[in-house]
Amino acid sequence: MTGRELARRGFALGLLTALPLAFYGASSNTGSNAVITGGIAMAFSIAGASIFVALTARPVDQRLVLAGYRPYELLLGRLLLLEVFGVAVSAVFSVVMVFGTGPPHPWLLAAGVGLVAFTSVPFGLAVGAVAPHELEGVLVLIGVVGVQLTLQSTQAIARILPFWGAQRLLQHSVDGTVSIGAAVPSGLAYATALFIAAAYIMHRRAPSLTLSRVR
Amino acid sequence: MTGPSTAGRPRARETARDQENARQLEASGISKWFGRRLVLDEVSLSVAAGEAVAIIGENGAGKSTLLRICAGLIRPDRGQVRVSGRVGFCPQEPGLFDLLSADEHLALFAPALGLSRAKAIEDGHTLLAEFAFPVAEYSQTRHLSGGARQKVNLALALLGGPGVLLLDEPYQGFDHGAYVSFWEHVARWTADGLGVVVVTHLLADAALVDRVVELTIPRAPVVERS
Repeated sequence: MTGRELARRGFALGLLTALPLAFYGASSNTGSNAVITGGIAMAFSIAGASIFVALTARPVDQRLVLAGYRPYELLLGRLLLLEVFGVAVSAVFSVVMVFGTGPPHPWLLAAGVGLVAFTSVPFGLAVGAVAPHELEGVLVLIGVVGVQLTLQSTQAIARILPFWGAQRLLQHSVDGTVSIGAAVPSGLAYATALFIAAAYIMHRRAPSLTLSRVR
Repeated sequence: MTGPSTAGRPRARETARDQENARQLEASGISKWFGRRLVLDEVSLSVAAGEAVAIIGENGAGKSTLLRICAGLIRPDRGQVRVSGRVGFCPQEPGLFDLLSADEHLALFAPALGLSRAKAIEDGHTLLAEFAFPVAEYSQTRHLSGGARQKVNLALALLGGPGVLLLDEPYQGFDHGAYVSFWEHVARWTADGLGVVVVTHLLADAALVDRVVELTIPRAPVVERS
């Protein structure tokens, strides 16, 4: 049902998908940087959709848990759905950038874009779990992704941001100048930690009753 | 047979125990602060099977907060809530997905309630039809009137046969016919053994329930909580 709800927001999804393409197109004259900018900007699409899904579901979630769902079931369902959405968007976007830029390591570009998508979903779900409203959620998204976009992956502060691993892969795909040994583990660790954070918050917010026979 | 001198007491004990066991919901010593504001101060509420209870009180008396605590949606700062069976909760503001239809909501709730999709939609249609909801028309809930959304809200609370129903001003947006029908249904649900709690601000509703619990705004010193 979350998929149906999301699919019916065609205009919003179109805008979300157009956003990284706009970033990529606008920076296409910067050469290899366009791939990094466009790839990281894809987090706006996937994490944006995830924040939106988490926030629109929040008023219904408590009733769904009261009805008998476990919070992690709801969260896992959304994670899987959004990851499928992320894979589809990242596949299309990878093809666009591979043909548009012609990087020496196209598979690393696809891996970098895929890692952005993979990390964006739990990032969006975690932000959606804590943000009181959509405005705050979007501001956090713009802040984190915006800062990541302005930093070089070699800067220390970039390492503590969620898309650093993907940024390394994207940079290596175009110039081969940075090591990528820690890139995938970093992205996976970040994604796992964010998902656990989202699950914990959702569990804390879930209805809690002593469901026992009254004595 | 028990002798006449002792027959009364065991029976009395049994009756008392039966009444205790028939309690569907028991909230005791509930206190809740929102920041520095004390909203509920040592409030208790119990609902027996087949009993309709109205919670009334002025604005800010904590009616909705008490109901949400009873549903487990808010944690009390003090006190305990025990329920027997599943809680059917109907919030004041319909918690629905705007882009899903009534049938899609019923299908979404079905697995959680252990119902098949077809059974949930069939049961849901029965409930909705009783409140004159146009079940044959497809409409996303964002296109429904406030009263129709509230009917979906109410049907979701009733789906799957809860043990106790917690209804927070459930007839918001209902027309007069639906309002009257709602109270007829309350009488039927309680006759079927359901415990029903209705938050209301309409004093006329007090005559339609078995018991009324009136909440007042607690007077508490404004102090920092430790």
